[in-house]
Amino acid sequence: MKIAVCIKQVVGREWQLRLSDDKTWIRDQDASFELNEPDAYALEAALRLKEQHGGEVVVCSAGPSRVVQALREALARGADRAIHVEDGALASADAFVVAGALAAALRDEHFDLVLTGLQSDDQGFGQVGVVLAERLGLAHSTITMDVAVEDGGLRVKRELEGGWFQWIRLPLPALLTIQSGINQLRYATLKGIMAAKKKEIRSVAAPADLAARQRIVSLYFPEKSKQTRMIAGAPDEAAKELVRVLREEARVF
Amino acid sequence: MLEVVLFWLVVIASLAWFGQQMAHRTRLYVRAADNISTDGLGARLMRFFGEVVFQSKVIGAKPVVGFAHLFVFWGFVAFGLYTAVETLHGLGIADLSETRAFYYYKLALVPFSLLVIAGIAYLLVRRAFVQPPELGATVSKESVLIDAFIAALMVTFLIDLVIEPGPAERVNWWLHMVIIFTFLGLIPNSKHLHLLLAPITVFLKSPVLQTVPNLDFEKEEVGFETVKDLPRKAVLDAFTCVECGRCQENCPAYATGKLLNPKRLILQNEEALLANRLEATLAEVYDPKVLWQCTTCGACENQCPVGIEHTPVIIGARRGLVSNGEAPDYLGGVYNNLERRGNIWGLLYDQRQKFVQSAGVEIFDRSKHEFLVWLGCAGAFEADFQKSLRALFDILRAKGVTFGVLAKERCTGDIAKRSGNEYMFQELATQNIEEFTTHGVTKIVTSCPHCLKTIGHDYREFGYEAEVVHSSVLVADLMHGVRFDKTETVTFHDPCYLGRYAHTHEEPRELLDRVGATVVEPARNRENPFCCGAGGGLLFEEHEEGKRISQERFEQLQGTGADTVVMGCPFCSIMLKGAAASSNASTQMVDLMTYVDGRLKAARPNAVFREAPELAGTVASAPPAAAGPPDPGGPPSA
Repeated sequence: MKIAVCIKQVVGREWQLRLSDDKTWIRDQDASFELNEPDAYALEAALRLKEQHGGEVVVCSAGPSRVVQALREALARGADRAIHVEDGALASADAFVVAGALAAALRDEHFDLVLTGLQSDDQGFGQVGVVLAERLGLAHSTITMDVAVEDGGLRVKRELEGGWFQWIRLPLPALLTIQSGINQLRYATLKGIMAAKKKEIRSVAAPADLAARQRIVSLYFPEKSKQTRMIAGAPDEAAKELVRVLREEARVF
Repeated sequence: MLEVVLFWLVVIASLAWFGQQMAHRTRLYVRAADNISTDGLGARLMRFFGEVVFQSKVIGAKPVVGFAHLFVFWGFVAFGLYTAVETLHGLGIADLSETRAFYYYKLALVPFSLLVIAGIAYLLVRRAFVQPPELGATVSKESVLIDAFIAALMVTFLIDLVIEPGPAERVNWWLHMVIIFTFLGLIPNSKHLHLLLAPITVFLKSPVLQTVPNLDFEKEEVGFETVKDLPRKAVLDAFTCVECGRCQENCPAYATGKLLNPKRLILQNEEALLANRLEATLAEVYDPKVLWQCTTCGACENQCPVGIEHTPVIIGARRGLVSNGEAPDYLGGVYNNLERRGNIWGLLYDQRQKFVQSAGVEIFDRSKHEFLVWLGCAGAFEADFQKSLRALFDILRAKGVTFGVLAKERCTGDIAKRSGNEYMFQELATQNIEEFTTHGVTKIVTSCPHCLKTIGHDYREFGYEAEVVHSSVLVADLMHGVRFDKTETVTFHDPCYLGRYAHTHEEPRELLDRVGATVVEPARNRENPFCCGAGGGLLFEEHEEGKRISQERFEQLQGTGADTVVMGCPFCSIMLKGAAASSNASTQMVDLMTYVDGRLKAARPNAVFREAPELAGTVASAPPAAAGPPDPGGPPSA
């Protein structure tokens, strides 16, 4: 099975966020970066499928030169080779542009399966996977919890709202967006890290004809507000009112 | 003449037999990777004299057995020249046996021979009839034979002194010499090879317990995967093992019914080497489970009388597994935490930030602060251990010691190092060292013995040599003159990485003594404590085979009768508190710094102690009436 995993590099959680001057993105020149967490689970799912069914895992990332670090990490964990769609502007591009760039890089390779994380930890639109599926003309499924190969197709467990799950079948080739936390991530082994140095990272240019369909108008920190309300009355009355407020307004239980 | 020819044949046959067996072992040694080091020559020579010449390690743990062995050992050395003279005589090369000097020498040997007979008789009885479990399940016939040989050598020597020349004298002489040359041939393939190798292995053993050199990634080193990866010292160790079982006796994993037996591990190395199973993986030679049952407490290596180093083999074999992605699942999670978040719990550092701020600690600045207080993962994130850190801060402030903390710390890499993830360890170590160097840190105090070992010893290999002390050492130094009346009885659990590794065991006791606690001791204490079960990454192992090590240790501590257990390590705290909780015991479990600070504050009003450092010194000379804490029964920290 020939599997592609699309990964994104996002700013590290430890990094103190700062807004850019025009307040439409973050000032990430001196940030530390890490692999987008849902993508790490997508990679893990791909590696497990490869272990079961054989084949190849190719990681692909669209972004500036720094994303090579994320690709190396993926190679160290066991991906076979990498494709880097290199363009500085892709760092904060919208889902349409990123999906277009990934589609151009992946189309000719004819993958059996394409995996992405459910969403990115920075923009969080959850759109790259589905737009990419449309662009490649693949069947797709989102919020994937489990993947099994069955009768030449896939049997996939999806997460619904309120603790409900759904099993669906879909044919190959297909694209799945993978939910965080569905498996135990492997660690990068010393041998993997050594081997990664010798694995191929092919750099391709982003297609020139992609125009953004979305624009971030304004970005701001959530305002923290603190309200204190005194509940007056006799203790037993006040206690009842407190319970009511906690339950109905604060909704803590 | 016939006798001379016959004796030549005996000697040649014996040497050939001996030589052929030794050649096999020599080949295995020569082809192994060279890891022989003689750094710290002074310490090595001291150990050689102590442990080889005076048999301090053998006597220290078991005095009677030790002295019996000492007699036999000295007897062997003393008889060396006698054997040489008699052999030269027998071969017709030179006859010095009639000289006056030899006569006096022989007289001098008499007391030695009597001591050897006494010693060997005791050891023979112990081996054949008492049969202590550490010597193995069956009586080794070969050992009994060798014991009998040694006794016979002494008896024939004594007979030779008094017997008149004649046929009987010749028979006696021949008996003596044939035994010696049979013995020579039996040496290589028995545990008695330690006679030749132990002096070498004791000398070659690293002066610092658990010295596991960094892997060189440039040379594509990944740890020990197969038998052929065992380096020279490990090969020597395998041949030297005397099978006394002290490692087994002191191993917490073995004591709680696990598969790991350090003695068996070394003997399995020997077996695999001699069988030339060089391509066999170590995991299949031992059983992979065994490797993950070691807490790296170091008891085996520290107790070994013949200089065997177990931890480099265990950690080396772990490295081989980890490098191939074969670490247990629970470690995979820890490694990802270390990689993504820089700490063992995978928590975000703003939590540490909040703690540092709420404790009012400054960020280290070398122009203002003498010490860097290293928090470690537990100090940064674990609520209970943060109390210990706050206590330390209060004590240091009261005594006017200036200190700061780093704005950002990463895990020292202790768990990565001990569990065999060398890549992760080196990543963390180099980042931390860079941080230390940038901020000009030269004096570090930490309450975590694991951080102490890692920064104080392992980081030296990267060329970073700061003065690193455990908080108990620094605080004991500050408390000279404090002397409270004894009002409480406590027991102290020595953390392995403090008592055994750092040789710090008197300072915590001195501190407890000064703040008015009477310390009662469990059987295993100071340099040879019984592990809490957390080391080597096992803090995260939830499915321990056999009895839990922490449970066993907690019971030992409870057995002292003290209702307060004082500990000096965050990992020990987590493990032993867990054991106390699951035993439903009312025993109070408290960290050393928390305890000491609590006693100090109880003895003096807070305000005076905290805000007037210049008065703090007078706690020492406080009148006896004010000395004892007002509520001796109350927990100092609750």
